[in-house]
Amino acid sequence: MMTAESSPLSTHVYNTCDGVPGAKMDLSLHRLDSKLMIWTMISIGTTNEKGCCHGLISQEAFTPGMYKLRFETGSYWESLGQTSFYPYVEVVFTVRELSQRFHLPLLMSRFSYSTYRS
Amino acid sequence: MAGSPSPLTTHVLNTAMGVPGSNMTIRLYQQDLSTNVWTLITTGTTNDDGRCPGLITKQQFKPAVYKMHFETAQYWERMGETSFYPYVEIVFTITNPDQKYHIPLLVSRFSYSTYRGS
Repeated sequence: MMTAESSPLSTHVYNTCDGVPGAKMDLSLHRLDSKLMIWTMISIGTTNEKGCCHGLISQEAFTPGMYKLRFETGSYWESLGQTSFYPYVEVVFTVRELSQRFHLPLLMSRFSYSTYRS
Repeated sequence: MAGSPSPLTTHVLNTAMGVPGSNMTIRLYQQDLSTNVWTLITTGTTNDDGRCPGLITKQQFKPAVYKMHFETAQYWERMGETSFYPYVEIVFTITNPDQKYHIPLLVSRFSYSTYRGS
């Protein structure tokens, strides 16, 4: 089982509306096939009680390229009985150097979100 | 275009340098509810103030899911820099097109944020 420490890519969702972790949010990781120019789904996951999701991809599979993390924000807010301006959030990013770890948090409310690379 | 201003506006801000994100290419898409196909509504470029007037007319602006695509890597490349994000896409749901919607993008090479303004 991949541990948090071994996963080269991780994310953390925070619900800035309520000041709590964005727990139980479904998300998926995709990689762009640069020859066919189509997205291929690599894995799916759900954030835990702390809003974290590790183990989306192994070190071996994490090759340079373009990736997309898709967060099912609409479903998340729906499960809380609320609507959201964003049906989903997709963060597209480029991986060039594999020696680094990539942590891509999502801080979100019903009407805003932000992300950064750490 | 003459006539009433666009009910949907945007504003790009380069938070790394504290300046408007000018000369950034933006594309606005509207999703067909039955086929899920995205239709390109407008292609534009942000002005010196980081804004892009005339995105959509009141007549075109109906309840639907929209996507605003920002060519962020191209923007940073013109300044001789790389960007973690090849592009940024913000997908949002319009249920009441009688309101005004402002979708800003605050961007640096390694982070971005957005919110629903009016």
